[in-house]
Amino acid sequence: MKILGFHQRKIFGACVMAFVLSLSAGPFSGPGPVYAHIVPPENFHPVAESYRRVTFVLNVNPVRWSLVWRDMDRIAESIIMVSAYAANKFRTDLAALRRNVRQETKGGSVPSSPEKREKRRRAVFSIATRTVASLIISHLQKVGSSESQNSVKVHLSVGRKIFRAFADTLPYLDPKEWKRMQIAWLEAFSNIGTPGVMGVGARPMNVQQIRARTAPITAYLSKFLVRFQAGPARRLAPRPIGSPTYVKMAKIPWSLPPGSNINKQLPRPRQLLGMAERGANEGDTGLIALGDMAFDSSEIFGEPARSLGINCNVCHNKGVTNPGFFILGLSRLKGGMDVSTNFFAPHANNGIFDHFDIPDNRGIRFTAPYGRNGRTASLREFVRNVIVLEFNGPEPDPMLVDGIVAYMNEFEFVPNPLLNSDGTLSPKKVGAIVRRGEKIFKRKFPQMMGGMSCASCHIPSDHFLDRKRHNIGSAKGFASGSFDGAYDTPTLLSAKFSAPYFHDGQLPTLRAVNDWFNRRFKLGLSKREMSDLTAYVEAIAGGVEPYETTLNTLEAELEEFKFFLSTYEFLKEKGKKELIAITLKTVATELQAHKWDLQNPKHMPILNKMELLIREAVELHRNGKTKEVDAKIAIYRGLYRKNVEVLR
Amino acid sequence: MEYRLTAENLRTVVVLVLFALFVKPALAGPTIPLNVALVPVSNPEKLIDGVRPAMRFLEKEMGQKIRHFITLNYSAAVEAMASGKADISFMPPLPYVLAHHRTGAEVILGELYKGKSYYYANIFVRKDSGIKKLEDLKGKTIAYVDPISSSGFMYPHDIFVRKGLARGGLKDPEGGFFRRIYFAGGDEQAMRSVFGQFVDAAGVSEFSLNLLPQKDRDALIAIAVSMRIPSHNVVARKDLDLKVRARFIAAMLKLNQPPNRKYLRHLYGTDGYVKVGNASYRSVVDLARKYGFLRK
Repeated sequence: MKILGFHQRKIFGACVMAFVLSLSAGPFSGPGPVYAHIVPPENFHPVAESYRRVTFVLNVNPVRWSLVWRDMDRIAESIIMVSAYAANKFRTDLAALRRNVRQETKGGSVPSSPEKREKRRRAVFSIATRTVASLIISHLQKVGSSESQNSVKVHLSVGRKIFRAFADTLPYLDPKEWKRMQIAWLEAFSNIGTPGVMGVGARPMNVQQIRARTAPITAYLSKFLVRFQAGPARRLAPRPIGSPTYVKMAKIPWSLPPGSNINKQLPRPRQLLGMAERGANEGDTGLIALGDMAFDSSEIFGEPARSLGINCNVCHNKGVTNPGFFILGLSRLKGGMDVSTNFFAPHANNGIFDHFDIPDNRGIRFTAPYGRNGRTASLREFVRNVIVLEFNGPEPDPMLVDGIVAYMNEFEFVPNPLLNSDGTLSPKKVGAIVRRGEKIFKRKFPQMMGGMSCASCHIPSDHFLDRKRHNIGSAKGFASGSFDGAYDTPTLLSAKFSAPYFHDGQLPTLRAVNDWFNRRFKLGLSKREMSDLTAYVEAIAGGVEPYETTLNTLEAELEEFKFFLSTYEFLKEKGKKELIAITLKTVATELQAHKWDLQNPKHMPILNKMELLIREAVELHRNGKTKEVDAKIAIYRGLYRKNVEVLR
Repeated sequence: MEYRLTAENLRTVVVLVLFALFVKPALAGPTIPLNVALVPVSNPEKLIDGVRPAMRFLEKEMGQKIRHFITLNYSAAVEAMASGKADISFMPPLPYVLAHHRTGAEVILGELYKGKSYYYANIFVRKDSGIKKLEDLKGKTIAYVDPISSSGFMYPHDIFVRKGLARGGLKDPEGGFFRRIYFAGGDEQAMRSVFGQFVDAAGVSEFSLNLLPQKDRDALIAIAVSMRIPSHNVVARKDLDLKVRARFIAAMLKLNQPPNRKYLRHLYGTDGYVKVGNASYRSVVDLARKYGFLRK
């Protein structure tokens, strides 16, 4: 090997350095994108967001304190920006409350009582309300003392955004003052001025005017909310009790807290209705159409589900699941919630936070018993309980429940060509890995629940379930040795499309489920065996075309409304006036919600007209004018027939 | 320890040097980044979340780094172009004609909305307000967006002037017709103000109705439509290298292709881009002169 001399070594060093530099100074190096001076959007300021969440969560029984503290900490961070002293005081007050709550919750050193819990709830809400009001005032005061135009604008904008913390309550509690303050904000913003474009179109800022215009806001908050103490009303809200225009009997509509999502998933799951797949004429299946309508109707539920637009289809989108569903305070994870708090049906609150994953309803006629813990043998009874006990609905007409059950009984699993009808694999369609996985699936493990295999519970010849409940250890019991952790065996058919898994959705994938069993029961399966097993489970849990191919849902929805209305004659014949009212209201509500999906806005008048016809029909039906209702529905049907192409 | 440099090592060095000097720059393209200014919109949150992948796509297509930033206001974007700190800026129509007038910046692309490179401003009122026509707004209040906004002031304001109801101009926006006009600071705020009955009308972009929750939209109705407004656009600095400009245009037009359309959703939510020239903005210049934004 030839050794290089000194100069050659210097060249070597220089060349290496040149190479390194050429890499680091390339076109994709340097600082990342700069997000500077963003004009704030009209979304929530963190304080407003946190306050609205805290308000919602504190109004839910049981209160999830961890969520409350998280948002109170966020509020504390915003106070620091304005006053370190105030932030410190806020934290000290909060710490004491936090300590009390911790001591009084389960396992704590101090016995709890409903009175104490109520006291803590009110105390935290009072602190939050006082703090938010003080924060707005602080920002407005800084507007008054600020010299810089930008600083004025920032403080004014932040103040207005925090003020939105009260936008879901104060307009109802004190509408007169709310309007006055909103106009004050408009006046203040109109005095901000603009730099124009390089001076062109510039308007000067008028700080004096801004100060004068925002003074009533500061005065109102100082007078009624800065020393706020929550009163005896069960529902916590920033009630400005001292205001002469306070509406004591105000009905505050419920709204969901920021961070919630009740939108249906897109693309939508492909819904397979047995009768439709077999070629039935949908116009001939009145009871199923009634069930379809009811499944999509918030009218069958009580408040607050009704006004929030919650219906069966929101959670069981097209009879499946809604993986993005989340209501802060009620859900622990996406795709599920606790339906037995005081929020939807106060009378049926079980007093504990028990989040359940939304179950897939495909093939439901084969999957009794119902409920994650298999508490109900009959689907009919289960449906009735969901309406009355979970969502506060009135006792439903028996025909309505018949309809929903008839509709749900048509839900089919996603076709799976890899499986024979007896649940065995179609050998020509699967590879060696899946076949190996099948053997593991059927292997009995002495250490698993007395020598069971996966197939012992997920019986292939019986839709991969056993209709039994087992305590596999996926849930913590109320005490050591308790027997409250058993859950119903779920089917594995179509399961690939309904993640997450387990009764509470704690596992995100089928592989994670297999890993859980391997760990829990010390099955000793190797990595390869786990892959084989997962390949098998995914094969049996899969299927073809599980989702719709389009994101535009209007066409399908309009067809569905046609189906809903096909029940009209049938219900009229049976004399079911209340069900006709529900049907008409549901179609009107759904039209209002879905018409915005129209691709070409020039056809909006057609949809508006269709909606109006149904709303008129609702009124006429209420007044018992059957012939006129008939006429409206006939015009609606004609209008739809005539325009069905353009509405696509 | 003495470093031992062998002939084999030297060969490696030569390869590295050649790579560094010739191959990599050829792969990477120009080393000077293209600075892109984004002006704020009614919902910049979506812009922030979504713009990065779009910029990465453009970087890849151009073979040139893009440095993007969101400006405080239109003026800052124009100033950035005038000082050479921004090469490209996304802009609304009125700020563009002012920028063109002051800095010589040139429009290169227009946004498409449902295939069209224009849109309208509307006058919205509450359906239950009893206000059916523009004349009914005499002595009442209206919320606009911002004095320097095309669809949020100049064009809706022009509706009243053209109809002979109000005098024109920024100096007297009430124009002897309204009791009070407000600049709400955003389309959404203006719409919410009319929905909440804090003002009687809002003069805003036709798309503003979508900023309200679906359940609230039916409460409002548009009672008047403005003249056609050329779409928001993309502007190039006057002395930007023509080759760079051409590469940028080509990359942007690729966003119209189906596999790349996903990036558009977050880039001002437009449906695509089309090549446009200064002539498309003639009508904006005319109005800007009429209302004192530009000298006659």
